[in-house]
Parts: sequence; C-alpha cells; structure tokens
Amino acid sequence: MPPPRTREGRGPWDRPRAPSPEAAPEKWNWNCPETRRLFEDAFFGDEDYIRQGSEECQKFWTFFERLQRFQNLKTTRKEEKDARQPKHSHPALADLPRAYDPRYRINLSVLGPDARDSRGPGRRLPPERASEFRQALLHYLDFCQKQAFGRLAKLQRERAALPIAQYGHHILQMLKEHQVVVVAGDTGCGKSTQVPQYLLAAGCSHVACTQPRRIACISLAKRVGFESLSQYGSQVGYQIRFESTRSAATKIVFLTVGLLLRQMQREPSLPQYQVLIVDEVHERHLHNDFLLGVLQRQLPQRPDLKVVLMSATINISLFSSYFGNAPVVQVPGRLFPITVVYQPQEAEPTTSKSEKLDPRPFLRVLEAIDNKYPPEERGDLLVFLSGMAEISAVLEPAQAYASHTQRWVVLPLHSALSVADQDKVFDVAPPGVRKCILSTNIAETSVTIDGIRFVVDSGKVKEMSYDPQAKLQRLQEFWISQASAEQRKGRAGRTGPGVCFRLYAESDYDAFAPYPVPEIRRVALDALVLQMKSMSVGDPRTFPFIEPPPPTSLETAILYLRDQGALDSSEALTPIGSLLAQLPVDVVIGKMLILGSMFHLAEPVLTIAAALSVQTPFTRSAQSNPECAATRRPLESDQGDPFTLLNVFNTWVQVKSERGRNSRKWCRHRGIEEHRLYEMANLRRQFKELLEDHGLLAGAQAPQPGDSYSRLQRRRERQALYELKRRHEEGVGRKRKVLRVQDDQDGWSSDEDRGGSASRGAGDSVDIQDVKFKLRHNLEQLHAAASSAQALTRDQMALLKLVLGRGLYPQLAVPDPFNSSRKDSDQIFHTQTKQGVVLHPTCVFTNSPEVLHAQEQAARGSDGSRDDRDKMSSKHQLVTFVSLLETNKPYLVNCVRIPALQSLLLFSRSLDTNGDCSRLVADGWLELQLADTESAVRLLAASLRLRAHWESALDRQLAHQARRRLEDEEEEEEEAPVNHKEVAALSRELLQFMTSKVSYSLRRLTGLEAQNLYVGPQTITAAPSLPGLFGNSTPSPHPTKGGYAVTDFLTYNCLTSDADLYSDCLRTFWTCPHCGLHMPLTPLERIAHENTCPEAPQGGPPGAEEAAPEPPQKASALQKPYHCEACQKDFLFTPTEILRHRRQHV
Amino acid sequence: MACETERTPLGVFKCQLCALTAPYSYQGRQPPDSQSVVLLEESYVMRDPFTPDKGRFLVVGSRCSMCGRLVCVGPECSLFYSKRFCLPCVQDNVDAFPQEIQQDLEKRKVPFTRPASQRSS
Repeated sequence: MPPPRTREGRGPWDRPRAPSPEAAPEKWNWNCPETRRLFEDAFFGDEDYIRQGSEECQKFWTFFERLQRFQNLKTTRKEEKDARQPKHSHPALADLPRAYDPRYRINLSVLGPDARDSRGPGRRLPPERASEFRQALLHYLDFCQKQAFGRLAKLQRERAALPIAQYGHHILQMLKEHQVVVVAGDTGCGKSTQVPQYLLAAGCSHVACTQPRRIACISLAKRVGFESLSQYGSQVGYQIRFESTRSAATKIVFLTVGLLLRQMQREPSLPQYQVLIVDEVHERHLHNDFLLGVLQRQLPQRPDLKVVLMSATINISLFSSYFGNAPVVQVPGRLFPITVVYQPQEAEPTTSKSEKLDPRPFLRVLEAIDNKYPPEERGDLLVFLSGMAEISAVLEPAQAYASHTQRWVVLPLHSALSVADQDKVFDVAPPGVRKCILSTNIAETSVTIDGIRFVVDSGKVKEMSYDPQAKLQRLQEFWISQASAEQRKGRAGRTGPGVCFRLYAESDYDAFAPYPVPEIRRVALDALVLQMKSMSVGDPRTFPFIEPPPPTSLETAILYLRDQGALDSSEALTPIGSLLAQLPVDVVIGKMLILGSMFHLAEPVLTIAAALSVQTPFTRSAQSNPECAATRRPLESDQGDPFTLLNVFNTWVQVKSERGRNSRKWCRHRGIEEHRLYEMANLRRQFKELLEDHGLLAGAQAPQPGDSYSRLQRRRERQALYELKRRHEEGVGRKRKVLRVQDDQDGWSSDEDRGGSASRGAGDSVDIQDVKFKLRHNLEQLHAAASSAQALTRDQMALLKLVLGRGLYPQLAVPDPFNSSRKDSDQIFHTQTKQGVVLHPTCVFTNSPEVLHAQEQAARGSDGSRDDRDKMSSKHQLVTFVSLLETNKPYLVNCVRIPALQSLLLFSRSLDTNGDCSRLVADGWLELQLADTESAVRLLAASLRLRAHWESALDRQLAHQARRRLEDEEEEEEEAPVNHKEVAALSRELLQFMTSKVSYSLRRLTGLEAQNLYVGPQTITAAPSLPGLFGNSTPSPHPTKGGYAVTDFLTYNCLTSDADLYSDCLRTFWTCPHCGLHMPLTPLERIAHENTCPEAPQGGPPGAEEAAPEPPQKASALQKPYHCEACQKDFLFTPTEILRHRRQHV
Repeated sequence: MACETERTPLGVFKCQLCALTAPYSYQGRQPPDSQSVVLLEESYVMRDPFTPDKGRFLVVGSRCSMCGRLVCVGPECSLFYSKRFCLPCVQDNVDAFPQEIQQDLEKRKVPFTRPASQRSS
C-alpha cells in the first residue's frame, strides 16, 4: 500500500538511495537485525520519544510485526475508494480529506530524522521504507496514547463506582464543620484509598494516614499514588520503620501508628500535619487505642488539626462518643450476596488421637464444591484455620485429595512462611482448577486475595494472650467474635456472589462475643507504659483510654519497669528508661544494647539485639529436612541460640561480600529465610544510629577510601545499583504466575519448592533485595564488623554472655536435677514462676542437652545416683531465655547457657546468706550450697565490689549521655564517657570472677522451703563485728528477713538453718601473712581482717587480685550530698545509690 | 529530590461530555521534552502517569473544531479526523465523514465495551 506520505510535505525523500545491498526492495526483510538497527539509529536516538534498546523499543517492533501482518490482509480488500464530495456549510467540515486514510485519525506526527539532521543516520534509509516505518511508528504512538487514556478513563470510572464516591463531598463538608469525623464503611467501600484523595483534591497538603500494618502503608501509598496519577511523582509517600518515600513534595504520607506515636514523642502537637486519618480504628490495636487517647487530649491544643477516624461498621458509637459525639458518615460496603451454610460438627468418633484437628469436615467441603459447581465456573476457596498446626493437619489430606481429583491446588498461608511462598496465594490456578488456600486469620484483614468465592470458617483463632503473673505469653485457641466471622464471610463476596461454610452452628454464632478482645486487654503493657512515661502523659493508671486495660497488667508493667531499672521508685523515667523508651525494642533487648556498648562489644550485641527482635530466620520446612539441618550445623553455637543467630548473620554478610549474588542460594540451602536477615541488617543499623545519637557509641567517621580512584569506583557502583533499583521498580511488581497442579503426593515438598523458586529467580535476574541492601548498607563496614565478631576471643564471648545474661535477667530457668538421666527430648526446666517448661524445638540445646548438665562429680551425696540434685560441681548452669511461650507446652525461646553461681551473684535482686555465707538463696527460689566457706565469702565480696563498679560505670555512661543531650554540640568530642582503662579493668575482673572454680550444689527451693526461708526480725540487733567484710557498707538489721541488710540486694545471715549454730565458735588459729597477726578466727573474721589489713598490698583479696586501677572512690564525681528524710541521715550518694537507698524505705 | 521534575499542573481539564477530569501540565502542539513528536491540534496534555519515563506525555483532550466544546479524546466523546470533533457534532453531520468513520460509529452504537486491546499488550 503506498502511503499518502507526499502530502505531508515534511522531509523530501529525494536524496540518492543508500547503496547498501539489503535495500533492494525484493530482498527487503524487516526482521533482519541490521535493518532494524539502521532504523533505530535514525529514529530512536537519545533525544527521541522512543530510545534505542529500551523496553519500549522492543514493544514497538512487536507492534510493528502485528501491524504488517494486519496490513497485508487489508490491502487486498481495500482497493476501491469512493471519492464523494458533498457540500458542507461548516468550514471545519469543508476541508476534510476526501480519500479516507487511517492516518488522518491520528492526532500527532513524528518528525523524521531527516527533518532534524540531514547528515544523520536517516540519510541511508530507502525513502519508501522510511516512510513505511514512520507510518508504523505513528500508529504505534497513537496506540500508546489510546492505551494510556483508556487506563485513565477506566481508573476514573472505577473510582466513581465505589460506594464512597457519593459521600466524598459530605465527608469534606463534615470535616469543615467538625474537628473529628468518623467514617464507617465495610470492606470494599473504598474508604482507605479514596478519603486521602478527596482531601488532596480539596487542597490539603499535609495529610497523614496511619495504618496498623507496615505492608498496608506501602500498598496503599502505591495504590493512591497510582489513582491520583502521581505514581511516579512524590505527592503520595509512605514511611515505615526502615523505609521512607517521603520528600518535601509529599502531600499524603501513609505511616504506621507506631511511627506517628514516635513523632508525637518529639512534637506532641504534630505541627507537621493538617489532617490526620486514623484507619482501622475498629481493629483496636494497642497503639491505635493509645493514639486515640493521646489525640483526645491533644486536640484542644490544636484546634486546626482535623482528624478522620476510619472504621468498619463495628461499634461506631464507641469512637464517636469518645470524641464528644463526633459526626459519623456511614458508607455501605460493596459486597455481593453471600450464602451462609452452617455445618456444625458433631463430636465424631475421632480416629486420630488427642487434639489433632480432624481434617474430614474440610475435605467434605472440597468434595461438595466439586459436586455442586462445574469446574468452568471459576472461584477459589479460602479456609480459615486457627493456626499453623491446624493448617498442616488439613494440608496433607487436602493435597492427597487434590492430586487425586486434579481439580485443586492447595496452598498454605501463614506468617511463618517464606515471603515467596506467601506470594504464591496470589498466583492463578489453571483453567478448571481451583485454589484452596489454608490460612490463619492473616487473610481476615491483612492479606486480601482476589477471586475467592468460597470460604470455610472453622470459627477458631489462636491468639497470643498474656499472663501478667507468670510473664508468660500464651498462644491459645479461642472462638472468634461475630465481627471476625462476618469479616471472614465477607471474603467470599468481593468479586461475585459467594458461599460461606461455617463449621459451627448458628447458635454458636449467636453465642460469640460481638467484637474481638482489644489488644490492650491481652498483651504485656511494658512497652506502652514506657512510651507513656516518655511522652509525659501522666499516670498510666488514670489515662483516659477508650477502654482501660486491666489494672493488674498495668501494675505488672510498672513493677517490671521498676525492676528493670527503667523507672525509679517514684515511677519517673530513669536515664536508662528514657533511652529504652526510644529504642523500638523489648526492654531486655534495649538493656543489652546499652550494656554491650559499654564493654566495647557493640558490634556483636547490635547483631544479636537485631536478631532477637525479628522473627526467626529459620524456616519450618528445614526442620524436618536433614540436609538443611546438616548444612546449618556449622553455624550453630552450643553457647545458645543468640550466638547461632550471630553466626548466621555474620556468615551471611561474608557470603554477600565475597560471592555477591549467591547469598540467596546460600540461605535456601540452609533453610534460612533471607528476608529476615535483611530485616536484621536494617534493624541493626537503626540500633546503631540510635546508640550513636545517644553518645553510647562513637559516631562512625565515614571511612572514605583514601584515593579518588576508589571513591569514583564506589560512586559508580552505587549509580549502577540505583539504576538496577529504578529499572526493577519500573517493572511494576511481580507478575502473576499460573500455578501447577501437582501430579504426586509430595508435590509441595521443599524440593519442588526449591525448583519453583529457582525458576522464579531465573526470570527475575535482579535480586532487588540484594540491591537495596547494598544501597542502604556499607557492606565493607558490615563485613569488617562481622569478621571482628567472628574472631571473638573466649574472653569477649564470656563478656558477651554476661551482657546478655544481665540484659535478660530475671528470665532464667534451672535445669531439672534429673535431666541427665532423661531422654534428650524429655529435658525439663523450671523458672521462678513456672515449673516444667521445655526447650523450644528450634533451640540449639534440644539436640545437645548434655552441655547443660553439670559434668564433674564430686563427693557428698553422689553415691552413684545419676541426677544432678545436690551434686557438687563448679559447672552448674542456668538457661537464660528471651521469651516464654506457651502453645501446647510452655517453651523457652532463644536460650543462652550461663554459669549459675557467678551469674546469680552478679545479677540477682535479692541474695540471702547464712552465717558463714556457704548457703546462698538467690531471689528467694534458687539455693546454692558452697563447699568451702572461705571461697564463698571471697566470691561474695568480689561480686559486691564488681557490682558496685559496674553500676557506677553504667551510671556515668548514662549520665554522660544525658548531659550530652542537654548541652549543645559545643564540645564535640569530650572525653569518652567511661574511660577505656577502667572498662578494661572491669572486664578483666568480671572475667576472672566468671571463671572462678568453686564447688557448689544448685537446687530450686520447694514452695514450703521458700515460705520458711528467713529467721525473721531479731530482737537482738548487734551488728556483726566484721568490718570490711563487705566493703565499706555498714550493715543494718533487715526489718523482715532478719539478719543484716548489707546492700540493697544482699542480706547477711537471714536464712534459717540448723547447721550454723556453732559456726561462730569454730575458730582456728591463723597468722596473717601481711601483718603477722596471730589469732583464733572464724573464716569470716579471717577474710574481714585480710580485707582491712593495713599491711596488705593494695588490691584486695585473691580471686580478684587486680582491682580496678581507680578505686571506687573515683565515682565521687557523681556523688552528691543527700539527706534522707526517712532515716534522717546524711550521705554522699550517686543518683543510683540514692534510688537504692530510697527503695529500702518503701 | 523528585520536585525538580514535577511540573505543577496548569489546571484541571474537564471533559464537557463525560466529566472526566485530569490535571494538565501543558496546552498546545509541542509537548515539552519530546522534540520529535508534534501534535496536530491544540491539546491539553499531561505527563503520562503510567510510565516512569518523564518525556512521555498523554493527550487528554482538546476543543471540538465545530462547537468549541472541551472534550476528552475518549471514543465515547470525540474522534479525530484531521481535526477534533465531538461525537454530537459528528452525529449531526455524519454525512460529511467518510464511510469508514460512519461504519465505526454504527459499530459503536451497539452496546459498547472497551476493546480488550486497551488493557495491556
């Protein structure tokens, strides 16, 4: 077809044809790569609309081929043309082209290369071909325009069709008149995506929208950005813990509630926002409830701040009345009709033993669907089960059924799955096959899967509940609430009419609680109380919560924080407390960070703290896979799980810096979820920055590589990485894949899984996580840190364990004395409040419990009996743990083994002794019986000294930090908080102390023994005449226990006992090696003398020969005169000593 | 960091037939950042919101060359045949257009669904 090109008059095509042989018309081949390149050179330059080599360029050629085929078909038919020429009055119609050509329907034109540059590459193209090409290009551009406009129009149609669209105006109007408006609408009404856009359209430019979940922040920001046509702009952004797309141009920011609260911590009135949208308030998350409380108080101070509360249509009046009867805009949801089928389960004679879930009712539903609905009618099934165990109970038989019928693909969905496996639920099943997704309540709100037509609701949920007395987290199964049941049902009606099978009776449903229990009523409130304190919102007990938490959990939290030293006796934040409040972690982990930075163990402690704050990186499937277990073994540390995690992270960093991309594979071979390691790296960095900000860690002087060449090199690398990231982001997310139906039973085994992810990996050759990781972190620095941590000396390791032990205290368990005669799987432990707890199956000690047994046997009582009870040993150990979790059994999670005696002497809050200190009771539940009085007293005295040193060093560290924050950055680098020498000396002494060998027995006291532990108040209160035994402190009679309070934790001689009646009389003659004194003395008196002997060399008793170079008096820099009102005495005290002293009077 | 490229919209284009609205950042025949492409009508143009490429534009609409109404380029509202015509004007003067266009219009009258090709290729 000859194109009507000549009329264009643009670009004369009369230049001599290029003498290239391929230009001969008969041999013309558009598919020839050289030909294509010639045209690309000419038309797709750097300045052109399409650029050579781009994805667009490829798309064009595909289009070009299609167009050619289409035109070849057409040319034969469209030969004759009628050239009518009717008369038209309107001038616009008068000059319409007479002969039709599709070209006239295109409203744009492309300048040929000749029009721009006569010497350019276009010169060599044959004119007819060039014009043919240009014609195609025009059609392509027109096609692109239509496509893009089509999307724009569709977007607007869809937005307009949302139920909330009719209320947009009303909502804005209400917000003009009121400070707080409640928008209540059910799933699918569009409130989360539309309300922010209405505000944007109304001209608001400082809008914050909080979400309970991080993932929702990202997906909403993306969606709203897309809908408001600024997908690639920066009007709409998100901000979550480690990621932010927020910039100065951002008008709407989606952020987590936690993050907003942190912003309020800094600026309570939130000056940076005009409008605040609080989404999903009905979910009643802890943070959300607290945020509402803070807002309610804050609003009068910010009359210009508007607040939109968004909720499902649940309990709306609660929110409205909490904010002075705020107006409610109620929007109907958009759900298709859903048929509810109640299928109560009669207690069937269960073939399977005990509590394992019976999968048959679920299989019956699959069968029923197969029988009733033809496979051509699409629609997937979503099954709500209470937990992971239940999912695996149904998974296997369901897969057997699926492989038999070939009509189902069965997929599990829960939070412990790898990210890639979670993503599979979004893939599509092949025609005639349905997806069956077995999910926890994660699919109730967090994850929305399209195409669900059937829902099976077990009616159960496993929720974490918190036992404040035992400080125990319990994962228990409950009936769900009516609200949850409705939410689950609704998942069947998002894309069309659906069916919901409820595996319970309608009467059960009627008996369900209307709403789920708010989080504030079932979790530990430590972190909340700490945050409340740091935001100075007053007494947590009187804070006007929307629904108050149980008073006991508030009290427990306050007590716990006092125990941890975060609050003082008047419940005010201590320096350590205010620091902890800023660390987004558990109090115990925060403490580890602070302690670790003091001992110059920051690098490993940072990693461990991060590792303990994310979900375990070990995947479940690997548990049963011996191959994974074997490859993982070299990473395991028999010191405890945190050290295994430390090894995993460090080795991973090494792998990353050595072999680059292979880290993904490395992780897969070891059954490690790499995503968690990335989270750890991010968290680690955040911790590090926080410690640096607070002066606990010397700021990193960005180690710039010296020469300009390597700087350039690094810059190039980073640019390349940015480019990769950009390109990945263009590739709009992950494409949906078609799932495979399995042929055999074990279609879902990890092997298949591995193959699947490998092929997936091949498709997407860029490991975007790796790219992001390298952009965010300085790999060299991390690597240096990792290798230094791997080269941890024995001493550093021991110190690290001390730091962890002190951080985790009092979370410790004692091995049962009969463990050594038990099977590996039957090892039991006891905590102070809970007996008979077991190690979590993932724990490293599960496979090697013998490392926890006291090895050496000694005399006394060990007449061949194989238990550790009363066994004398210097190697008794305790297990300190990060959390106690009860599912079907109470489990110790993340354990570290620590030497018992030394740890208890250093950490316990209450330490009671008998007369000769050979019997010690720690915290009222663990009894230690030492073989030798002399070493007992020495150890005790050493521990007192060490504790005092450690405490004062920590005090100064924190005081220094507090000072730094007050002063401005005038004196940038003053002296280090606690000087190196002192810390080194302290470390040395601690290590020596930890390795001291003393034989003792360890035993948990029985309830009765614990009750009758103390002699009680004594009438005769003669102070023991043992000056110097316990340092400089002057013992005073203990009011309740009896004996003498030596320090705030140590009470001397208060234990009831029948053995030491005579101890005072057992004197033997002894000669002091220093001053030559010769007298009959008890062991105690002997040590007392040694400690105070004027002739003795400086440095104190053996066992801690090398005393600190600076004696404790040095601490006087912090000591201030203190007058105690209660006892009417004057002291010279450090702040902590004051606290400690005051506590005595409580 | 992204501010430098974000052109502030000149205003909001609104189709007088279907009420489609879109912020436009340029009006004329020579969209910025795309030297090699010219438009054959005075158009309301925005940056193509569906691609990260900053040089790509999207023509949203223009004036009907007969009645002067602002119309979007959607096939339900207007067509281009060497000039922009809104559909009401085309209907009124249907004879003035070649048969191919008339046939197209006829096809459009039967319940219209957007062609599948408009999703993505």
